Amino acid sequence: MNDDPIDAGCDKYSDELAELALGVLTGRERALALSHVESCQRCADELEQLSRVADTVVQVAPEVEPPMGFEVRLFEKMGVSDELAPRRTRKERRERAHRHRSRSVRWGTAAVAVAAAAAVALGLGLSLPSSNPPTESAHGTGHARGQVESAHLVQNGENVGRVAVFGGKQPWMSMMLTDDSSVRGTVNCVVVTKDGARHHVGTFTVSPDGYGAWIAPLDHVDPGDVRTAEVVSPSGTVLATATLS
Amino acid sequence: MRELRVAEGELSDEGLLAGMAVGDQSAAVTFVRRYQRRVFGLAYSMTGDAGVAEDVAQEAMIRVWRHAPVFDPRRGSVASWVLTITRNLTIDALRMRRAVPTDPDDFAASALRSNEHNPEDVVKRGDARDIVRGALALLPHEQRRAVVLAAVYGRTALEISESEGIPLGTAKTRIRTALMRLRAAVEHEEGVSDEQ
Repeated sequence: MNDDPIDAGCDKYSDELAELALGVLTGRERALALSHVESCQRCADELEQLSRVADTVVQVAPEVEPPMGFEVRLFEKMGVSDELAPRRTRKERRERAHRHRSRSVRWGTAAVAVAAAAAVALGLGLSLPSSNPPTESAHGTGHARGQVESAHLVQNGENVGRVAVFGGKQPWMSMMLTDDSSVRGTVNCVVVTKDGARHHVGTFTVSPDGYGAWIAPLDHVDPGDVRTAEVVSPSGTVLATATLS
Repeated sequence: MRELRVAEGELSDEGLLAGMAVGDQSAAVTFVRRYQRRVFGLAYSMTGDAGVAEDVAQEAMIRVWRHAPVFDPRRGSVASWVLTITRNLTIDALRMRRAVPTDPDDFAASALRSNEHNPEDVVKRGDARDIVRGALALLPHEQRRAVVLAAVYGRTALEISESEGIPLGTAKTRIRTALMRLRAAVEHEEGVSDEQ
């Protein structure tokens, strides 16, 4: 990897980096530019920054209220019942009806709900394992639907990640280790319920740089009963713990 | 130890996608309601056809639902992922139907108007979308067209040179200069935010 701040080769690819970031470079030009980026840290950083801006250009499109019935038709195709969704508040229903009456399918519609949601987003920073995630359904719960409990994952007194336990018809949990953790390799996730029982949730892999994130269904565990979640080494050593309640 | 207890509607985008990845239908519904206006808005602003836009928006949501398990937050935000899927599907739909896309000037104008007419919708000060909108407005007209044609409509420099009637080198320069200026604006605003 070339970290040299002065490299005549970089100038040659200055135009291509912008087009690469925008995803419109093709053929041999693309191959050559990618080959250069792979060997040049400076251009790789430049490409990352340009890509971030390029992605944002797509996001400036105006928000437009879809036609009436959009949701119904979509949920039918998805095989999803909208009765499972949290009910809209009276204010949301009123605003939605108003949007449809006054400005359905035209430019410049409001996005109060999106703005509000973004403003309160928790930023759990979840990721998913590279292997197939579990998809089978879990069982009963005393946890109210749509509720989540979240706590820091602590290792030697330091926050090294986060755990979240989600209720609902299909309880599940997520766990994330940040790059700061000293955990490496294959580990187990264990939850301890209020009766002291230990439940093995799954076995996962943490990357060499200490980052790891995964999700798993909570089979046979009531999410409301979970007291702690642990990252446990194959030899049984508890590496990090999150206390949920 | 900090605890959080929130309703599903207040979950982060990443949290909702994680729920969708394990088949949580209520997470999917919440996600759809959060993103449908942005997804439909992008498709409509590119096609100008509500019917095509609905087809595209629905397909985009279905793909997000199916592919939620492979989303990797280290490669970009949820919004970027979802809207890139939408953009690509819209480009495909336009090609398949041999439909005429909207003019990039109209796209840019509507994007800039959307904030002007709805100042209450500004998510928060320093939002990258607002910064890029502002920077787009300041670009020379030909550079704005070039970067929108590339970033939104997926046009290559060669295609832009042909459609705009300019040399290939000029098209490349316009694309690069525009994107660099947008980046400079974002970096400037981020620097100002850091100082505050």
